[in-house]
Amino acid sequence: MVEYQLLRAHSLEEVLEILAEKKKVQILAGGTDLLVDLHQQDPKFENIDYLLDITDVAELKGIKLGPEEGEIGALTTHAELLSSPEIKEKLPFIGAAASSIGSTQIRNRATIGGNLVNAAACADSFSPLIALGAELVLRNKGGARRVLLEDFVEWPNQTVLKDNEVLEKIVFKMPQGEYYSSYQKIGRRNAVSISRLSLTLLAEVENEAIKNVQVVSGAATPAPVPFREVNKYLTAKTFAEIDPAEAGEIAADEMVGITGERWSTPYKRPALSKLVERAVKDLLEEAGYNG
Amino acid sequence: MAKLEVEITVNGEQHKLKVGSQERLLDTLRDELKLTGTKEGCSVGECGACTVIVDDQAVNSCLVLTAQVDGSEIITVEGLESKSGLHPLQKAFIEKQAVQCGFCTPGMLMSALALLNTNPTPTKEEIKTALEGNLCRCTGYQQIIDAVEMAAEEWGV
Repeated sequence: MVEYQLLRAHSLEEVLEILAEKKKVQILAGGTDLLVDLHQQDPKFENIDYLLDITDVAELKGIKLGPEEGEIGALTTHAELLSSPEIKEKLPFIGAAASSIGSTQIRNRATIGGNLVNAAACADSFSPLIALGAELVLRNKGGARRVLLEDFVEWPNQTVLKDNEVLEKIVFKMPQGEYYSSYQKIGRRNAVSISRLSLTLLAEVENEAIKNVQVVSGAATPAPVPFREVNKYLTAKTFAEIDPAEAGEIAADEMVGITGERWSTPYKRPALSKLVERAVKDLLEEAGYNG
Repeated sequence: MAKLEVEITVNGEQHKLKVGSQERLLDTLRDELKLTGTKEGCSVGECGACTVIVDDQAVNSCLVLTAQVDGSEIITVEGLESKSGLHPLQKAFIEKQAVQCGFCTPGMLMSALALLNTNPTPTKEEIKTALEGNLCRCTGYQQIIDAVEMAAEEWGV
């Protein structure tokens, strides 16, 4: 039988105080993952004495995009990301990822921070943020530290967040100059679907050539990672030199190199290859290149 | 475990309640307030039968603890009908035969209401997106989408 005391924090200070004072605290944000586990009396709740609801903490909410840097508060919901005109204009791939999550009801509650901290292998928020080179601000009573999002997940559902820390916000440098992006996802159906595969491509371009590029997997590998070989292949190439199908093949090889051959490989290999190909084609098309 | 005191407004009526630490909004509505129009289907946020409106947003009441919505304003399917009769959405659902077994209907109505409250002239795609978290095993959805379209037209007049 699961038993815990429910606490509600109304400020970040209160959250940090509780985390410093008490042991065996589980933080509750939007609850769309956690309350499913709770309802199913997941054994992980047996080790919890306190459930700390932070949904009322205003300091953890909001989107700020400056010319150089941007930040997203951990409690920002997917619905807020999706409806933000700033996100739509400057970082549309983040809106695209948010819109692909769950259903309207889920997006109204589920938070980007919760998606990251829960760290499911199929979580949709990772790849767009890793493509931005995002860092997480993890705070405890003593202060804050920054962790590269890429290094945040140790294993599915296991992160480097310590018991006395809370994810405060996600910070990143804004892409500069001329840039294009693409977010791709395959699920079993459109709505309320768990990603089978997803990825983000973000590229800064100059004079019809790729200056910087990040192609990042979601759900393709146990933890989301940049496809370094694909990035290497695309970087510094002119649009005319790029073969989208080749980029797809390189990504597929890289994925299998990480995961090894699995039961799902005969499906995932060609599927991922096509997704990457599609993302690269999107980029070229958006950049107005007609081959 | 100690109970928590919360104050919520449901369909315009204020309630002071003592709730358990694991009590979901769905449990409070059905078991405490006897508002059994809100249905429990899957209990894991997939089917949308438990959809209610919390502070203008459609949410799955199975995935919210009541203590989390302290101070909130909640609308359930029972809040649709007024002294002047059925709500345009209810009339449209009847008119378009958008109800078969009826189990999903309260959730569908709440998702549709949340949509029309913020977007009175939705496109078909916007209606589909608003209803994508609500499963119906009987109708095949077409009549439901037609009903929301009809309600939007009538309501807008």
